[in-house]
Amino acid sequence: MHISEGVLSGTALIAGWAGTVTCTAIGLRKTDTSKIVRTALLSSSFFLASLVNIRIGPSSTHLSLLAPVGLILGWSSFPAMLVALFLQAILFHFGGLVVLGANTFIMGTPALIVYVVFGKMIRSENKIFSGIMAFISGALAVMIGACLAGIFLGISDRNFFEAAKILFYAHIPLALIEGIVTSFMIMFLKRVSPEFLS
Amino acid sequence: MITRIILGLAMIVSLYSTSYAHGTGYRQSSLNAVALEFTYSTGEAMSYREAKVFSPLDDKFAYQTGRTDEEGRFSFVPDAKGEWRVIVRDEEGHQCEAKINVNNVDDDVHAASENLQGMELTVRAVLGVSLMFNIALLIRRRQNAHQ
Repeated sequence: MHISEGVLSGTALIAGWAGTVTCTAIGLRKTDTSKIVRTALLSSSFFLASLVNIRIGPSSTHLSLLAPVGLILGWSSFPAMLVALFLQAILFHFGGLVVLGANTFIMGTPALIVYVVFGKMIRSENKIFSGIMAFISGALAVMIGACLAGIFLGISDRNFFEAAKILFYAHIPLALIEGIVTSFMIMFLKRVSPEFLS
Repeated sequence: MITRIILGLAMIVSLYSTSYAHGTGYRQSSLNAVALEFTYSTGEAMSYREAKVFSPLDDKFAYQTGRTDEEGRFSFVPDAKGEWRVIVRDEEGHQCEAKINVNNVDDDVHAASENLQGMELTVRAVLGVSLMFNIALLIRRRQNAHQ
């Protein structure tokens, strides 16, 4: 899901930075500094998840953990992802610094959407219901991210429908895996450390 | 009679020549090619990805296009001195650009790889996590100091 340097047009880069700066500013305001270590933990998980490769047929992809980060951190997921993506660009050469705004927006927005839509549902007392909701949120976050990446590639004068179609289909297996991982993570946290989801 | 035989033979020869002109052939080239291996930062090969080669003489139109092989390899034969660019990208927006300085068209090809070098990936991962936690602890300490 990381878009590399030199792929996006100026318009797409500006749009990405505008969205990221706005959402990060809101995120920083809403971040509770007493829970900053939790933010760092989720940011680290997101940072490391990109190293977990999943082989799908002739191609492969990596975990993103968009939904767990969003569901647990809420608005703080934007600054958490910005830091993680910055370090990924510097240390792993994933994405890049110029395209950091677009990449943060592409991955931060799905995290925020699943927080707004599923945030209360996954905190439900009914374990089965919250597990199913966590699965849906995990899968949905990946698909939203793929669609956003397609839109950014489309803005950059590339064949939008082709790019969006390829990205959409390529991310379906990852969406299912992310759904399962998210469901397990949320169920585990609810059982072991419910205060983590507070 | 002889004239008809000659004309007939000429027609057969001409037909044979025509069909042969559209045939195919090959020979083993002794030219020096630039062979590159493209990988993701994790070390995984960029298999079957779109590759474009840009000559130092023409930066707009690709000198050669194609796809990498299963191991992420791609090769081309430069025909001019200068900096050649090879761009490999996938459908998900990942892109790797290799810049190759060709000093001699026949030999002496120096590749400037942009792949991950130096510190091992694990060390970089540990460094990243360590940085994040240290930043968090720094913010927490400052917060506690203010209270």
